[in-house]
Amino acid sequence: MAEFVVDAIGEGWYHVSDGARRWRVAVAGSPDATWVFVEGQVAQLDAAAKGRLRPRGRSEAGVMSPMPATVVAVMAEAGQAVAQGETLIVLEAMKMELPIKAPRDGVVKAVHCAKGDLVQPGVNLLELAE
Amino acid sequence: MIRRLLIANRGEIACRIIRACREMGIETVAVFSDADASARHVHEADQAVRLGPAPARDSYLKAAAVIDAARTAGADAVHPGYGFLSERAHFARACDEAGLIFVGPPAASLERMGSKIGARRLMIDAGVPVVPGQSPADQSAPALSRAAEAIGFPVLVKPSAGGGGIGMKVVRAAGAMDEAVAAARREALAAFGDDTLYVERLIERPRHVEIQVFADAHGHIVHLFERECSVQRRHQKTIEESPCPALSPRVRERMGAAAVAAARAVGYRNAGTVEFLLEGRGDTASFYFLEMNTRLQVEHPITECVTGIDLVRTQLLVASGEPLPFSQASLSQRGHAIECRVYAEDPAQDFLPQAGPILLYREPQGPGVRVDSGIGIGHEVSVHYDPMLAKVIVWAETREDARRRAVASLREYAILGVRTNIPFLLQLLDHPMFLAASVDSGFLDREGEAIAASSVTALPDAAMAAVVEYRRTRGTARTSGTDPFVTLGSWRG
Repeated sequence: MAEFVVDAIGEGWYHVSDGARRWRVAVAGSPDATWVFVEGQVAQLDAAAKGRLRPRGRSEAGVMSPMPATVVAVMAEAGQAVAQGETLIVLEAMKMELPIKAPRDGVVKAVHCAKGDLVQPGVNLLELAE
Repeated sequence: MIRRLLIANRGEIACRIIRACREMGIETVAVFSDADASARHVHEADQAVRLGPAPARDSYLKAAAVIDAARTAGADAVHPGYGFLSERAHFARACDEAGLIFVGPPAASLERMGSKIGARRLMIDAGVPVVPGQSPADQSAPALSRAAEAIGFPVLVKPSAGGGGIGMKVVRAAGAMDEAVAAARREALAAFGDDTLYVERLIERPRHVEIQVFADAHGHIVHLFERECSVQRRHQKTIEESPCPALSPRVRERMGAAAVAAARAVGYRNAGTVEFLLEGRGDTASFYFLEMNTRLQVEHPITECVTGIDLVRTQLLVASGEPLPFSQASLSQRGHAIECRVYAEDPAQDFLPQAGPILLYREPQGPGVRVDSGIGIGHEVSVHYDPMLAKVIVWAETREDARRRAVASLREYAILGVRTNIPFLLQLLDHPMFLAASVDSGFLDREGEAIAASSVTALPDAAMAAVVEYRRTRGTARTSGTDPFVTLGSWRG
């Protein structure tokens, strides 16, 4: 591991040098969620600084919408076996299509939405049986 | 001349329009939802009016509330921006009825282009090439096969009610028709509740190339050349450029003339865009009308860069009844412009839209670099609206110079607090297919996942050194007694 010289230059910006080259790095956030930027790349770090990804989005048994959206197609029905990554539902929000894919292999236990429905985040759209 | 303009939009485009107004001495009225009460466009306008709660249907899409806001604020004109109410004929008509100038085409043009089938018929009558296709009244397999024979293989069989590629089947020879029809029908019924099928010529690896047009109220219609928009994911454009590297001067001229004919056919006025599919390249390329966007486009700045024309200013002049301040003969393209759309979405998580506060923010700047944005430090990126945060637009003498300028600018663009697609954009700009200018409109749907995977890279250790210093000086670091550098091995960028 190289030795770094770090100079704070204000407003969250740092010059970091290893003697051979220099980087301009920006840091912001709290100790639990520190964000760091360098040369177009960004990382979010937790308190232990191991960069572990925070769980986001989907639960294992259910499939949810990440944002308020309209259901444009439902491609699975109860009882159907689905493979991980298979598109189950297609949502649309602000002109953008968002395919909701199976988080794992499984059998569809129930579908809780239909084409044309407006759906909110955090609501189960579809359940997978264990 | 327009005196006070209400901007019926939010984000970067509202800020862009406010800027043009400031230069022209036009007063501005912003509108906002509860989620946007302290957004940048609200602060930049001369005054601001609340529309309603955060969901767009309760605020930015509420035509009556927007018209009321214009009346309350004493505005004499409304600019719809893009999205939201911009292509709703009923809104344009409501503005007319309220005595407000609608900065856009007449309501009748919006209606004519709003119907895909009607627009297609109008284009055929105007001599604008369309993709050969039909939806036969007799929907039996033999009748669909006859339709395919008449159109010529390869064909695309797709649900008439469709969208998003669902139920679309490529058929390369007559023998495969029956099976494709059966499958398409099944999927169409499941997804749309309607199994009517449409057969059209398959355009192999088409490019999405669009022509900017402008018409005034005095019978002048010109085009401002093309924009190449083939880099798109699920119909969401990501990178646009002008000129299109595949277009020869001869084809460009024919496309420009076709776009002007299209605008004339619908009695168009103000800024519009005629989208085409381009098949092949050079003088032998063919083009087909796709649709007309009856509004200012997100990607309008690249046209401004290569023509030197301010399209928003021109919109305001034309809406005020002025003639176009330029003629076709006076327009030319110079250099090369590239626009990269910066979205709040995580390429590592299937481009899941991201929300959160902007903790640190710095835009790139320099010669030939323009950033159109609607955010800043403290801004809360919300899930209620389009995840596009900003556009980085660069201009240079050549395509390669512009590409390098785009790369350098994106590497300088610091946004902390929400993940963005900037690492993905950087990978794209360095992709061999982009370098070779041979991207078709299916490129990202085929390669996007692989490019997204390659954009997830570890940050240099120097970044971690800055984090350690940041935490130390804030007195918040956990003193575990171990060397913080030891944990660097597995961290993810």
